[in-house]
Amino acid sequence: MTTNWRAIKTFLKFFFITLFASAIFVPFIWMICTAFKPANEVEMLNFIPHVASSDNFKLVLKIIPNALSGKYLNIDLLKWIFNSIFVASWVTVLQVTTSSLAAFAFSRIRWKFRDQVFVMYLATMMIPGLVLTIPQFQIMVSIGFVNTYAGLIIPMAFSAFGTFMLRQFMLGIPLSYDEAAEIDGASWMQIYLDIILPLTKPGLITLAIFTFLGNYRNLMWPLVMIKDEAIKTVPIGLLSFQGSYHSQTELLMAATMICIIPLIVMFIIMQKKLVRGINLGGGVKE
Amino acid sequence: MKLWEGKREKRDFWAAMVFLLPNFLGFIAFTVGPVLLSLYMSFTNWSMKKSIPLEWVGFRNYIDLLSDGEFWFYFYNTCYFMLGVPFAVCGSLLLANILVDQMRIKVDRTRNKLAMLTAVVGFITCAFLWIGGSQDAALFAGIVYLAAFFGILFGTTTYRTMFYIPSFAAGVATMILWMQIFNPESGLLNNLLYYLFPAGTELPTWLQSTDNLLGFLPLPAHFNSSGFGFGAREAIIFMGFWGAIGGNNMILYIASISNIPDSYYEAADIDGAGSVAKFWHITVPSVAPTTFFILIMAVIGGLQGGFQMAKIMTNGGPIGTTTTLAYYIYSSGFSELKLGFASAVAWIMFIIVFGATLTQWKYGNRQSEA
Repeated sequence: MTTNWRAIKTFLKFFFITLFASAIFVPFIWMICTAFKPANEVEMLNFIPHVASSDNFKLVLKIIPNALSGKYLNIDLLKWIFNSIFVASWVTVLQVTTSSLAAFAFSRIRWKFRDQVFVMYLATMMIPGLVLTIPQFQIMVSIGFVNTYAGLIIPMAFSAFGTFMLRQFMLGIPLSYDEAAEIDGASWMQIYLDIILPLTKPGLITLAIFTFLGNYRNLMWPLVMIKDEAIKTVPIGLLSFQGSYHSQTELLMAATMICIIPLIVMFIIMQKKLVRGINLGGGVKE
Repeated sequence: MKLWEGKREKRDFWAAMVFLLPNFLGFIAFTVGPVLLSLYMSFTNWSMKKSIPLEWVGFRNYIDLLSDGEFWFYFYNTCYFMLGVPFAVCGSLLLANILVDQMRIKVDRTRNKLAMLTAVVGFITCAFLWIGGSQDAALFAGIVYLAAFFGILFGTTTYRTMFYIPSFAAGVATMILWMQIFNPESGLLNNLLYYLFPAGTELPTWLQSTDNLLGFLPLPAHFNSSGFGFGAREAIIFMGFWGAIGGNNMILYIASISNIPDSYYEAADIDGAGSVAKFWHITVPSVAPTTFFILIMAVIGGLQGGFQMAKIMTNGGPIGTTTTLAYYIYSSGFSELKLGFASAVAWIMFIIVFGATLTQWKYGNRQSEA
C-alpha cells in the first residue's frame, strides 16, 4: 500500500467515525442545552437557550434558593452520588470476584453435571426479575437488611450474568495452557491466578464497567429497599424531580449531568485497558 | 450416582466446588429461593389485597392467560421490538472492530498540527455560522469539530466515550428527552423531517400512532394497509438502536477482539490477506463465544424488556401497541395486585426463553479446542 492511499483511508475512517459519533451525541447535547435553559424555554425547539444560565445547576447543588419561593431544594445530590459510588464499587469488587471464580469452575475444570448446573444458572436469568422482587424483599426483611447498604450490596454480589459472560471469555483461551501448566505441577488455584485471570483481563474489565454502571443507576431494587434519605442512590433521588403535579425537566437534566460525571471518569480510565495485544498468542511471541 | 471416577476426577470435582462455592451460596439464597417461590405462587391466587386468602388454583392462571388474546398480542409486541437487535449487534461489531485500535497518529508533531488546524478551522466556521444567524447550526458544527479535535488528540478514547454516552445517561432523563424529540408538533425529529421532505408530506406522529411496518393493527389484531407506516413501536426501536449500538455490546466486542492473539493476524499478513478477509476469517470466528453470549442475552433481555420505557414514556399505549410482557407483568401484578397471575405470565415467558436458548445453545456453544 502506498502512503497516499493509507492516508486517505485513515482520513475517511476518522471522517465517518466523527460524523457518526456526533450524530449519536445529538440527543445528549439536547440534554445539556436543556440543563442550561430556564423553565419557560424547556418546551421550545432551540438548542442554544435564549437566556442561558447555570441556575439549574446551582439550584440542584443548593448553592442558590428557588427564586420564587426563596427555599432551597430539599435534596442532597452529592450524598446520592456518594451512595451510588459506594454501593456500585462494593458490588463491582464482590461480583467480579465471585463470578470469575465460578466461571473458572464452569469453563476450565471438567466435572460431572457441570453443564447441567450451568444451565440452571442460565435458566434463573430467564425469569423476569420483577416477579422475584417480592420474595427477595421478604428475604431481606427476614435477615434485617432492608434500608441498609448491605441490603443494596449483598444480593447484587452474585450474578449469573457475570458468571456467564466470564465463562464465555475463558472458553476462548486454549486448553493447552492449563495442560502445560499442570505438567509443570501447577495447582488449579495457580492456573486460575497466574494464567486464566491475566488472560481474561479484558473480560474482567468489561464486567467491572457493566457492574459499576448497572448498579450506579439501578432503579428497581433500590426503589424497594430504600426508605431513608440517608442511603438514597442517584436514580431514586432523581425521581423527586418527577413530581405528581409537574416534572421539572430542566432540573432533572442538570442533576443528571452532574450525576454522570463519575461514570464518564470511570469509563475513560477503565476502557484504556481494553487494547489489543494483552493475549500473548500461545506464548510464542519473543 | 457417582460424581467422580478415580483420584484425579475426585480432586477436580472438589476443586470445582471450591471455586463455585462463593457464587453458589449467594445464588441459592437470593435467586433460587425466590424463583421456586414464584413457581409455587403461579399456581395460587396470590394477591396483594389482604382480604383475599391464599388459595391453590391449579393451572387456572395458565389457562386464563393462554386463552387470553391480550397475552399473545403483548407477546407479538415484545417480539416486534426485538427486530432491531440483529442490526444493532452487527453495528456494534463493526464499530468495535474500528475502535479496538488506538487510532492515534503516531508522530506527535503531525498530530498536534492536525488538531490545531481542526480547532482553528472549526472555530472560524462556527463563528461565521453564529454571526450568520443560526446559533444551532453553529452548535452542531461545533460538536463535529470538537469530536474531530479530541479524536485526533486522544484517538479511540474520545469515540468510545461518545458512543457509550447513551448508556451513562440511560434512565428517566433519556426517556423524557426522547419523548420531547418524538413530539409530533414541537419535536426535534419531525421538525428535521419537515425540512427534508416536500411540504404536505404526512409526517409520522411517532409515540401517538399505532402504525407499524407490518401493517398489523392492535386488538383485535388484523391486517390493514392503512396502518402501514412509522408509529410508536418504530420510535421505541429507534431509541433502542441509539442506545444499543455503542453500548454494552460494543464494549464486549472490543474486549473480545482485543483478546484475539496477534499471531493470528500476523499469520494472515504473511498470507497476504486484506482487512476484509481478516475481519471475516479471523475476527468473526474468534469472537463467536461473545456473539453467542450477546445473542442469548439479547433474547433474554429483549423478552423481559420494555418495562421502564412503557412506564415512563407510553403507559403501554397507544391501544396497547407498546405493552411488552414485562409491562403486562407489572400492570397485572403491581397495579391490579394479581401477583399469582403475574407469576404465571413470568413462567410462560421463562418457557419461551428457555426453549429459544436451548436451540441457540445447540448451535453456538462450542469449547475452544485450539
